[in-house]
Amino acid sequence: MVYVAGVDIGSVFSKVVVMAKGEIVSHHIMPSGGNYKLTAEEVAKKALTKAKLSFKDIDYIVATGYGAANASFANEVVTDLSCQGRGVSYLFPSVRTVIDIGGQFTRVFRVNERGKVTAFLQSEKCAAGSGRFLQVIAKVLQIDLKDIGKLSLKSKNKVDFNTGCAVFAESEAISRIAEGALKEDILAGLHRTLAAKIQSLVERVGLEPDCAVVGGGAKDIGLVSSLEESLASKLLLPEEPQIVTALGAALLAEEKAASIKVTNLKGG
Amino acid sequence: MTEEKKPEERKKRRTATEAASRIGPMVKAMVGEVMQAKEEKKPIAYSFICCCYDEIIRAMDIVPHWVENYAGICGAKRDAQRFLERAEAENFSRSLCTYALCGLGFDAWREELGEMPPESPWGGQVRPTMMLGSGQMLCDPRNKWFQAAQHYMPDIPVYDLGLPWPPYESDYDYRQVQDYYVKYIVEELKGLVQFLEKHTGKKMDWERLNQLVELTDKTWNLIWETYELRRAVPSPMGTGDAMNTMVPIVFMMGTQQAYDFFQDLNKELKQKIANKEGEVPDEKYRLLWGGGLPAWFALGDFNYFNSKGAVFPVETTYRMIEAIYNFDMDLTKVTDPLEHIAWRWVKFWTYWHDRARKRPGSHPDVERLIKYFEDYKIDGIVMHEAFSCRSWHPGLIWQLNLLKKVYRDIPSLVLESDIVDISSYNEADTRARIDAFIDTLEAVKR
Repeated sequence: MVYVAGVDIGSVFSKVVVMAKGEIVSHHIMPSGGNYKLTAEEVAKKALTKAKLSFKDIDYIVATGYGAANASFANEVVTDLSCQGRGVSYLFPSVRTVIDIGGQFTRVFRVNERGKVTAFLQSEKCAAGSGRFLQVIAKVLQIDLKDIGKLSLKSKNKVDFNTGCAVFAESEAISRIAEGALKEDILAGLHRTLAAKIQSLVERVGLEPDCAVVGGGAKDIGLVSSLEESLASKLLLPEEPQIVTALGAALLAEEKAASIKVTNLKGG
Repeated sequence: MTEEKKPEERKKRRTATEAASRIGPMVKAMVGEVMQAKEEKKPIAYSFICCCYDEIIRAMDIVPHWVENYAGICGAKRDAQRFLERAEAENFSRSLCTYALCGLGFDAWREELGEMPPESPWGGQVRPTMMLGSGQMLCDPRNKWFQAAQHYMPDIPVYDLGLPWPPYESDYDYRQVQDYYVKYIVEELKGLVQFLEKHTGKKMDWERLNQLVELTDKTWNLIWETYELRRAVPSPMGTGDAMNTMVPIVFMMGTQQAYDFFQDLNKELKQKIANKEGEVPDEKYRLLWGGGLPAWFALGDFNYFNSKGAVFPVETTYRMIEAIYNFDMDLTKVTDPLEHIAWRWVKFWTYWHDRARKRPGSHPDVERLIKYFEDYKIDGIVMHEAFSCRSWHPGLIWQLNLLKKVYRDIPSLVLESDIVDISSYNEADTRARIDAFIDTLEAVKR
């Protein structure tokens, strides 16, 4: 059996997918923390343990993401965009536009039928267009990040925000709390603000159906709902949106492992 | 008082041409000449690039100090932050043009000390004899920068020159109004000459001005012909080098040195083409630098593109010339030097108008991109949005969108940072974007 792994060391979370015969065997997600090198080793070990495997069982490893260079055990580093394209196409072959809401950036890109990225745009380096925006607000409202989406859907009166800047939005959220606004209304208002920022990226790239949303931000059902409303389009959502890049890396690793095997056979 | 901060270590960029590698010492010598002029009590003018007055000040032996260039030097040496912070301490907003902020911060500091700020890059920016503003449609801070500088140097006179050109409209021919623009510019230039005569006590040498105008026309033609050589596959020179070779174009126009430089470059490029010697050994992607001033502190990114097999055979930035013989009028027949300069200005800025009118919905800036895309066999477009430039950079994304609408969808990358303010730059992110862009180019090519 040929086992491969895709390792995505993101700016906020690290993910590993272990595959065999085109199927996911295991995956693991953990915060990236402050030491990418240690995290890379730990997240890979945890995914391998889940699959009852060890490093020596793995034929090929592709690393990707912000801290990919720290995964020194990987055979190859590939850009995260290439991995994402590959991962999304594997899950949804009909997808032509992808919205990736990551911890640092939001990125919108188009893929062709082979999963190759043909155009992309990334949000500015400020936090306003990314998952970081949600983290900041979750902290202010003292709620768990994972509860944001569900809570926001209860809103009946979305709060209007006058800013797209995460720093100003934080102080604006505090002002709204002081005014007695409900948490769900604040969250729904912020989702609308974030969705508008993402929408402008989508418009620049051009929305070609089907469109999928991936990345940690896609776990926020409130944000996904706001995005669907702004884009007037149904979005496809993977079961585990956070591992799509690692999945793509694993798929590329599988291809690589197969090509090496063929070369060896020919050579032999 | 702004605390002095040590500049970060600077990574030197590799140049593809020998000519481009000579630019650093040339700029250093240029700054040195201004210092020397100060010692010799020669008149020194704070000047802006693309200002129409290159030949005029040279004909009157006024030494230009190019303020944008000096801010760029501070940026390239990664030593601009202390001057920006000084300007901020003077209550200038950080969101203003960082060239202007750097210059104003420097001036404020120098005037307070009564000498150059400590360890000023390449000796510093001298106290001028006069300041020649150049208000125009390209860049609005030029109207106010020197007026603001007068807060620190109230005794230094300012002449603010207005340099408009007919804006593009799809439903009229700019030729209907061009005479008015030329007339206006000539009046402005006459006013400038009077101002210079008053403050230098010297009369304009009109014969010398005529000679310099002729030399400039000749240099424009030579630059155009030289840059067109870069169409070759593989391309012998990229935009990284052009960010050096812009120096003779915008800081030395009207000098024999500029002409000679481009003669050398022309010869070098022809030799490289004959030897099939490209900027990179294995040219895979040909890119157009479609707009935006560069991040002067990150010119090494051009080498990073090169490492991926990507070259930039052409750019819109700093290609502030056209072949004079390609204009729709015979400029040699305009013998009055001020009129000649004014017509050259108007014809340069309206050069792409006719092409735009032929393509419904298009615009001159987009037509220029299309022409370069076709002539230079381009695979993708890269632009740089400098956050602090509000006059030239905001239209870049609009241009890309329009290009897609009126022509075709071309892979594009928009980099984001600034011209001088290094705090806007993230190398890891920039390079990740470049990697991703290269992936898209590869996917589109296949």
